[in-house]
Amino acid sequence: MAGVELKSIVKAYGAVQVVHGIDLDVQEKEFVVLVGPSGCGKSTTLRMIAGLEEISDGELTIDGRVVNNVAPKDRDVAMVFQNYALYPHLNVAENIAFGLRIRKEGQKAIDDAVEEVSGILGLRDYLERRPADLSGGQRQRVAMGRAIVRRPKVFLFDEPLSNLDAKLRTQMRAEIKRLHKRLGVTSIYVTHDQVEAMTLADRIVVMHDGRIEQIGTPMELFLNPVNSFVAGFLGAPPMNQIKGKIVAGSNGPAADLGGQHIALAPLPGLQNAVGREVIVGVRPEYAQIVTEKQDGAIMGELDLVETLGSEALLHMSVGGAPFVIRTETLGNINKLEAVKGFTAAPELIKVFDAKTGMALSGQTRVE
Amino acid sequence: MRKLPLALAILGTTAMTAPAFADDHLPIVDKPLELTIHMHWPRAQGYGPGGDTTKLYPVEEVARERTNIHLIDKTSGRNTKDNNEAMNLLLATGDLPDIVGGNRIQQPVNQYGPEGAFLPLNDLVDEHAPNIKKFWEEHPGLKEAISAYDGNYYYIPYLPDGKYGRAWFIRQDWLDKLGLKQPDNIDELYDVLVAFRDQDPNGNGKKDEVPYFARDWEEVLRPLTFWDARTSGSDTYHDFYVTDEGKIAHPYAQDAYRDGMANLAKWYAEGLIDAEVFTRGSSSRDYLLGENLGGLTHDWFASTSGYNAALAEKIPGFNFIPFLPPKSAKGVRMEEHRRIPIKPDGWAISYNNKHVVETIKYFDYWFSEEGSLLSNFGVEGKTWNMVNGEPIFTDEVLKSETPVNSQMYLEGAQIYRGYPQDYRYEWQWTAEEARKGIELYDTEDLLVDQFLGVAFNKDEQAVYDKYWPSIQTYMLERQQAWVLGTGDVQADWADYMNALEKMGYSQVIEVMNSAYQRQYN
Amino acid sequence: MSGPVEKAGTSSAEMAVAAQGRVLAPKRSKLDRLVGHLRREWQLYVMLLPTIIWLLVFLYKPMYGLQIAFKDYSVFRGIANSPWIGFEHFETLFGNEQFLRALKNTIYISMLSLVFGFPMPILLALMFNEILNQWFKKTAQTIVYLPHFISSVIIAGIVITAFSPSAGIVNTVLGWFGYDSVYFLTKPEWFRPIFVGTSIWQEAGFQSIVYLAAIAGVSPTLYESAVVDGASRWQMMWKITIPSIMPTIIIMLIIRIGNMLEVSFEMIILLYQPATYQTADVVNTFIYRQGIQGGQYDLAGAAGLFNAVVAFVLVMTANTISKRYSRTSLW
Repeated sequence: MAGVELKSIVKAYGAVQVVHGIDLDVQEKEFVVLVGPSGCGKSTTLRMIAGLEEISDGELTIDGRVVNNVAPKDRDVAMVFQNYALYPHLNVAENIAFGLRIRKEGQKAIDDAVEEVSGILGLRDYLERRPADLSGGQRQRVAMGRAIVRRPKVFLFDEPLSNLDAKLRTQMRAEIKRLHKRLGVTSIYVTHDQVEAMTLADRIVVMHDGRIEQIGTPMELFLNPVNSFVAGFLGAPPMNQIKGKIVAGSNGPAADLGGQHIALAPLPGLQNAVGREVIVGVRPEYAQIVTEKQDGAIMGELDLVETLGSEALLHMSVGGAPFVIRTETLGNINKLEAVKGFTAAPELIKVFDAKTGMALSGQTRVE
Repeated sequence: MRKLPLALAILGTTAMTAPAFADDHLPIVDKPLELTIHMHWPRAQGYGPGGDTTKLYPVEEVARERTNIHLIDKTSGRNTKDNNEAMNLLLATGDLPDIVGGNRIQQPVNQYGPEGAFLPLNDLVDEHAPNIKKFWEEHPGLKEAISAYDGNYYYIPYLPDGKYGRAWFIRQDWLDKLGLKQPDNIDELYDVLVAFRDQDPNGNGKKDEVPYFARDWEEVLRPLTFWDARTSGSDTYHDFYVTDEGKIAHPYAQDAYRDGMANLAKWYAEGLIDAEVFTRGSSSRDYLLGENLGGLTHDWFASTSGYNAALAEKIPGFNFIPFLPPKSAKGVRMEEHRRIPIKPDGWAISYNNKHVVETIKYFDYWFSEEGSLLSNFGVEGKTWNMVNGEPIFTDEVLKSETPVNSQMYLEGAQIYRGYPQDYRYEWQWTAEEARKGIELYDTEDLLVDQFLGVAFNKDEQAVYDKYWPSIQTYMLERQQAWVLGTGDVQADWADYMNALEKMGYSQVIEVMNSAYQRQYN
Repeated sequence: MSGPVEKAGTSSAEMAVAAQGRVLAPKRSKLDRLVGHLRREWQLYVMLLPTIIWLLVFLYKPMYGLQIAFKDYSVFRGIANSPWIGFEHFETLFGNEQFLRALKNTIYISMLSLVFGFPMPILLALMFNEILNQWFKKTAQTIVYLPHFISSVIIAGIVITAFSPSAGIVNTVLGWFGYDSVYFLTKPEWFRPIFVGTSIWQEAGFQSIVYLAAIAGVSPTLYESAVVDGASRWQMMWKITIPSIMPTIIIMLIIRIGNMLEVSFEMIILLYQPATYQTADVVNTFIYRQGIQGGQYDLAGAAGLFNAVVAFVLVMTANTISKRYSRTSLW
């Protein structure tokens, strides 16, 4: 079982605690992405797993073995760094072979391994080149080659794609995904980019201020964020969040958004909640445009229309709060400039407590 | 102070005689005349007290009043103390002031004078400078000594007075303690040095005494004179000397040197000479005397006499006094070192000068009785008074914390203009021990004639420049090797002389002699 | 990716652009292009100007004076008016056995300094880099930097005292082991080791700064990556630190080779004796003694020119070799 288990892991620099007791169980062959804004502790957590940072408290288990005090090289992990960490004075083959050479593997074994890995990564034509003569994507591949060649139990990725341009990033993202499928090695991947997180992860771990906010599959997190932070972090554009107050509507609970009422699903968390300060969350994708005042619609003012081709982003102002609607252009293109508000299905609307930010609404499922 | 007239009577030679002319030629010009001057010397880079050219020397004020000639500072290289650099700067600008003076001007003046940068002074002095002319007449050989190769001389030098420079000093208290008398000859000197080495005269129970020591490593050679060899012909180390036959030779190529060196090496090997003499450096005198280790040295009268007072408290009974040079193996008593009668310092007239006659008359003023007193003692009534016909410094000057010479430098006296120094100036503030020593040295005829240098013509200079530096380097290398015992002078001698010959010794001696003949005959 | 590599990438890209420009250019006149270029980039040239002026005034203008090596130079007559005498000064120099000896000594001392003195600052820098205790590291660095800031005169005094036969620490220690006292500074065979050792002691610490800076410039992730790969500190030093600072080492080596004939003149003057000329006399001290008689600037100029030519050849050679074999070079 090459799983990784974190039990109440703490990192403190002197009196300053930056990671406050994290619990995470990564299954064998699982691809887990740690995501969060910068300074959330995700990189520190990864570096603790790698052994580059000491673990202040808690227990780290890799493959069933407690490794808190095991040297990095004996943890059988391989790491891919943001800036590739290639040795400029070595060529591609030597860079890939570096770890094996350090371990004094035989020349034949090294040659075979480099051959195989460079084949996997499509680097065969570049083996004699130095890093300076490679493109960013090629460098990134070499960096991955260095990790793969060691056949570690666990791959650790520290924002490996953030130095690449957007197009290359998309391409490499796919490659990493394919590679993981092919090799099936447990992977822990750190990024601040929620798109990477969504696309790559079996499970996403959202971190914030040294704590885990939520762990779940991408769709779980997308549909049922446990709090307004996760809701705001995942999804592009992020979920619209408008302050309001619970009122009793004609057909069940509703929220008063500065005078306009929006109907909510009759969820258990909203019973007896009239008068409660809440944040109403509506994903841009789940808001339907309206061009004239109608029942149940929330009206606002259109600021800007961004047309992206197949879809458009409408930037609106609802009672002074910004609100973005994502809508298909097909069939709507002539209406866009005339949009005056939106409607949303009550079961797709999320409600969070204004003070704690915790979700009050129940599960949403997409069938 | 009370002894002064007596001492002066003994000195005799130095007193100024009455001037040839009365001072009725003054002022030199009726209307004030301004002359520019470059004056760069160690104590002042510029013509003004301490180099501050915004102020006037008191001496200059008086000289202006008397001569109507006003010297205006125009010194180059005032930001460097290196006189060589200052002179090069001056010459390179090509814009020379009327008068060029200061430290070590002889070489540049004699090199660039014949090229036209400075005026030859021979005829000017003969016609317009009776006092200077008279000085030359009374001191034969000096004019020749400062001449350039073309036979002309181009500067009026600073002419030091006084005979003695260095003397032999011994720890009289050590002699007394060991029951020895002052060594009178080379054998006794050897015994004394051995006794200093072996009999623990400093009484600390350790055999740490250094019998003979010297501040300048070259002084390690001076005992060679006890074996009738020479170490130098002038106050410059390793210089040529004039043989009894009136020829120029070099001391380090003589048989006497070989034999003396053999003895010197033996002394060194036996530990009679400071084993570290080559590296101890200039503080060795302070150190070895202060630590009660040194027994005997050869050093300047004035500065070495000061230790009795300085160390009286630290070392009870300390008594380091001058004694007569011991007689050599051949029975000759000789003090090889003496003061040089002419310095390469002084002043010259540049080709830019439009008032040549006035300038030479001005130069001459400083050789008149009045000018000489002014340039030696400062302003009368301020720093000195005439007492019984003798210039005597005021008590204020003599008892000041500042040495008399430093005071004079600020007055504008004793600065490096061309003037005849008056030993009465120095005598008045010479320490009692030194005076006694000088009186002692005056009881016998110890001094030998000096070689005052030659001025080469271009071809001679080329020969000298080509060969001499290498020869001297080789001589010194062998010399130290012999002293240190890494070579045997007797065994090496034939090879050594052959090597000198191969390096051009004969050619150098030939040009030395041809220049010498031209200059001094 | 570390800095230098990125730079190399962009510069080659720039070159490619420049090359393209050249191919496309002929339609416009060269002058037009120059004027246009200056108009666009004049601020850059203005920034370059002080350096150019400095070079002209302090390095190029004095080159005019080099001709005195071929002249019978008189300060008063000036450079232009002194007569030409061809290679006479060079003949004088090379006809003098002591000059040849000095040249040999210079090269010998330089080689010793190079072999023993060049690796020392690198070694020091690597050692400092391995010290984890900050307080100890700073103290040790201060101690080894210190001699650099002491004047040569004092250093020479310390050396003379240390090697003194009567009171010196060296002879005292030798005495404990039953050796006789040696007057080191008058022994030709000891001069070079003492001199080279002193120079190393004086300068190695300070010279290590440049290597420390180079080490500081190595990306920390290289080490982290190596740690994860399982490299020991020793392996990291050999496989990362040293290769990473190799360009710096090579540049310093080329510069050093160029200064081969420049042996610390004051230090030799202060330490040598006629007794040790045999091994201690170098070109500069030889010229100093030779020239002191009557200010032979022209002869000194000839020796200086010779030094410069040798230095030029050495630097060119070293640079070419380095360029070919290590892809690092001064230009």
